[in-house]
Amino acid sequence: MKVIPFWGCMIALKYPQMEKAVRFSLEKLGVEVQEETRFSCCPDPIYFKAADKITWLTLAARNIALAEEHEMDIVTLCSGCTSTLSEANYHLKHDKELREKVNQSLKKIGREFRGTINVRHLVTLLRDDVGMERIKASVKYPMQDLKVAIHYGCHLLKPSEVMNVDDPVVPKILHELIEITGATPINHKEYLLCCGKACQDHELSLGMSTDVFQSITDSGADCMGLICPTCFDSFDLGQIRVSRKVGKEFNVPVIYYFQLLALAQGAKPEDVGIKYHKIMPDTFLEKLRVSETVAS
Amino acid sequence: MKTIDYSFRERLNQILGGFGHNYCYQCGACVADCPTHRHLDDFNPRTIILQALFGFEEELIGTDSIIWNCTNCYNCHERCPQEVSPIEVIIALKNMSLEKDTQPPVIKNIVDKVRKSGSTVSVTELANKRREELGLPPFQMDCTDEVEKLLKN
Repeated sequence: MKVIPFWGCMIALKYPQMEKAVRFSLEKLGVEVQEETRFSCCPDPIYFKAADKITWLTLAARNIALAEEHEMDIVTLCSGCTSTLSEANYHLKHDKELREKVNQSLKKIGREFRGTINVRHLVTLLRDDVGMERIKASVKYPMQDLKVAIHYGCHLLKPSEVMNVDDPVVPKILHELIEITGATPINHKEYLLCCGKACQDHELSLGMSTDVFQSITDSGADCMGLICPTCFDSFDLGQIRVSRKVGKEFNVPVIYYFQLLALAQGAKPEDVGIKYHKIMPDTFLEKLRVSETVAS
Repeated sequence: MKTIDYSFRERLNQILGGFGHNYCYQCGACVADCPTHRHLDDFNPRTIILQALFGFEEELIGTDSIIWNCTNCYNCHERCPQEVSPIEVIIALKNMSLEKDTQPPVIKNIVDKVRKSGSTVSVTELANKRREELGLPPFQMDCTDEVEKLLKN
């Protein structure tokens, strides 16, 4: 199996530990990677889309057209990239008039959107193509002592007819994928709440994040597990601002799902850049050293 | 007394996703599950669509409009029985704000960043250092020629 990862800007430049974890996991799963260095930003579905939807679609269509040259699906790792590229692929496949308009622009650079590939988040590749059995076989060091509070984020699931990933009201995919690492997934009260990163008034984002942290604290989970770098931004670095605002230390470590999987597959915390995380209590870090504990 | 501004609605209709506002029958299904509304009473997707139906330009796309506090979470899109997709109407309104230059500065900053480097995140020393520490290949984005051509009107 070979795929084209769309590394995106935020993972590659702000949180490269996520890229490292994905590369580690894919290798363990026997999934080959086709690099494409001509991709641009997806572009982002919040600010760039707010400026001009047609230009946003055109740049997204260029990225998809590049993958079409390889005749391989794009696999996304960031919910923002997932949102932009999935929406563009969906609308340009379904709306002929829109496709013609966008292709008229792409002509300027000698490219064309043909609609021949799919865009999918890596979690769906794992669930649907790699399969749970193969993932399970790759887990050598189950994270047995870990309770992980799930955080879906918005753009993996919605708009549901476009993303086509899971039931947006009662999703199961992250529950299943966390379970397979040996950890215990926790569907706490606010597991579907937005992180609020896109709101212009940052107080709103802090309010939403506070609700999420309170819910996770009440659930008794050891950490939060998520799949979106923007949510990670809100909850890891953002947790410092939240604590300052509400005068309370939540101390909830945040982990990107593929870091968790890589650890269960034998990576050490330093291999997947855990040290770059702002909120990382020592007691929790020790729990992540499963491969070393078992080996010794 | 204010009157309905049909010309504003006509302009909104022309923007991708803007036409949906015509289908709204004000049921309010979008409100209950709106995370911004939960934290800010004044932000209400139902009333935003009502203002669109009235064509209230200043309220919607004037300076400091409340539309910029939308989380982009798509809950309203999922709940709407009429396929209005309030979020897509809101994004269409944001596109109209750009024509009036009333958008928050971050919007043009992001577009400029993409124009110059292809990326929304800057390539920093720290990013390169971390990639090296993790044993990752150097960051590469060979796209600026084509992106610039596409961003030229």
